Amino acid sequence: MMELDGVTHTYDTAPVVEDLSLSVESGEVVAIIGPSGVGKTTLLRILALFIEPQTGTIRFGDTDVWGCSDGERLALRRRIGMVFQEASLFDATVGRNVEYGLKVRRSWRDRLSDGLSEVLRSNGTPETVEEALGVVGLGEQLDQHAKSLSGGEAQRVSFARALAYDPDVLLLDEPTSDLDPRNTAVIEEAVAEARNRGIGVVIATHDMHQAERVADRVAVLLDREITEVGPTDTVFESPADERTAKFIDGELVY
Amino acid sequence: MTVIAGAVPIVSLPAFPFEPQYVWSIIDVSLYVSGLAIVFSTAVSLPVALLLGFTEFRGKQFLQAIINTGMGFPSVVVGLLVLFAVSNQGPLGGLDLVFTREAMIMSQFVLATPAITAISLAAVSGVEENVRDAAHVLGGTRVDVALVTIKEARYGIATAILAGFGRAISEVGSVLIVGGNIASADGVSKTRTLTTAIQLEARQGRYETAMVLGGILLVIVLLINAVVVRLGEGGVMQ
Ligand SMILES: Nc1ncnc2c1ncn2[C@@H]1O[C@H](COP(=O)(O)OP(=O)(O)OP(=O)(O)O)[C@@H](O)[C@H]1O
Ligand SMILES: [Mg+2]
Repeated sequence: MMELDGVTHTYDTAPVVEDLSLSVESGEVVAIIGPSGVGKTTLLRILALFIEPQTGTIRFGDTDVWGCSDGERLALRRRIGMVFQEASLFDATVGRNVEYGLKVRRSWRDRLSDGLSEVLRSNGTPETVEEALGVVGLGEQLDQHAKSLSGGEAQRVSFARALAYDPDVLLLDEPTSDLDPRNTAVIEEAVAEARNRGIGVVIATHDMHQAERVADRVAVLLDREITEVGPTDTVFESPADERTAKFIDGELVY
Repeated sequence: MTVIAGAVPIVSLPAFPFEPQYVWSIIDVSLYVSGLAIVFSTAVSLPVALLLGFTEFRGKQFLQAIINTGMGFPSVVVGLLVLFAVSNQGPLGGLDLVFTREAMIMSQFVLATPAITAISLAAVSGVEENVRDAAHVLGGTRVDVALVTIKEARYGIATAILAGFGRAISEVGSVLIVGGNIASADGVSKTRTLTTAIQLEARQGRYETAMVLGGILLVIVLLINAVVVRLGEGGVMQ
């Protein structure tokens, strides 16, 4: 469904990622594993159409995302959800946060009239918002202010916020790196739920056990390249690349 | 002692039977002029602050320099420039704006805009990159990202607007020059503001009226400061 082909990206001088190729299909979970600073976030930001890489193509379905019009790209962007590594909730209630993606997809006219009627009487919450919060077990916290959430709850709200508008691709950047086991389990269950809904999920993680638990396929990112990509079992049990094997055995220290 | 005692009857002379109306019309002019100036200033300052904070363009440093200089601009000089602009020889001479509220709005706009822009810039620059990125990745357009930024920085922006209003309403130099401090014969202010009225009344020895006007101005400014402080606390509390 979404595909990177020969992608190279340079921030300042040296390329951070070089000649990457990777795809994700609907209903599939792809884990990107690799040491810190290797370019996982960069790769996800390229997939999220945040950064235009210097070389290579990105296709969404049959469309070259950097070869089409701004309007088309916006439409494609709106089929992608992303959860960042660090908290990024708006200074508003949980409900408002999760509703945001739905709001920006409405016409300005509707948004204006919604805004006006909100001043007069409070509007109800869309069903999809409550439903998305339910997936991460926060259905009750709709009216709580985002700033008063714990780190784990905040990350779960971020997940619900990306899920609420039913994206085709969901990008998760180390969503559980700062979380305790319970919150981690909730997020991992939510990943499984997204997969069941036919969403293509790409999850960056430095936790190989997490990759084993959630992913259908694993891509190993080392030294600017994807050194290995394949079904989870194959990559972990019989990696073809020597560097990958060392990394997985924990011998390659970064 | 005798001098002061002698002055008291003059002060309390019921020389102005129309005084309440006079005072109300002055408050009216002050709020109207400073209020509208601040509305226009804000409408210009917010987009400029967002541009300065988040985009690169030619002339950015120049604009930044103008804003920094503008904050320290003496109000009499601004008044002089605006007076020249609206005078017969000036570029806006055809509009016939000498000694009008419109000219006063223009000069207060010039005075308030740099300050509002600078404080708003500090406020929007404090919005976390992540939050702006979130608005984008959740499907927001540039306008949506800008709106989220403004919403996140709302306390700082409100502080900027109030500070600008405070500067405008307590400023005397430019409104005196471009407005002319005019009141009609029946005691209704045309271009007389609280500040210009205070200096006139004091100069003419009508201390009582001057004090009343001064008190009103003080209350307005203190109220604004109280709101700014509350907003500051709200901003810190998060
Ligand atoms: N905006 C940027 N400008 C310049 N260099 C950057 C930028 N973002 C990232 N980098 C550099 O690119 C490299 C890859 O960073 P990236 O954040 O993609 O790594 P990561 O795999 O996500 O790391 P981590 O696991 O610590 O999150 C790093 O060396 C980083 O310093
Ligand atoms: Mg990262």
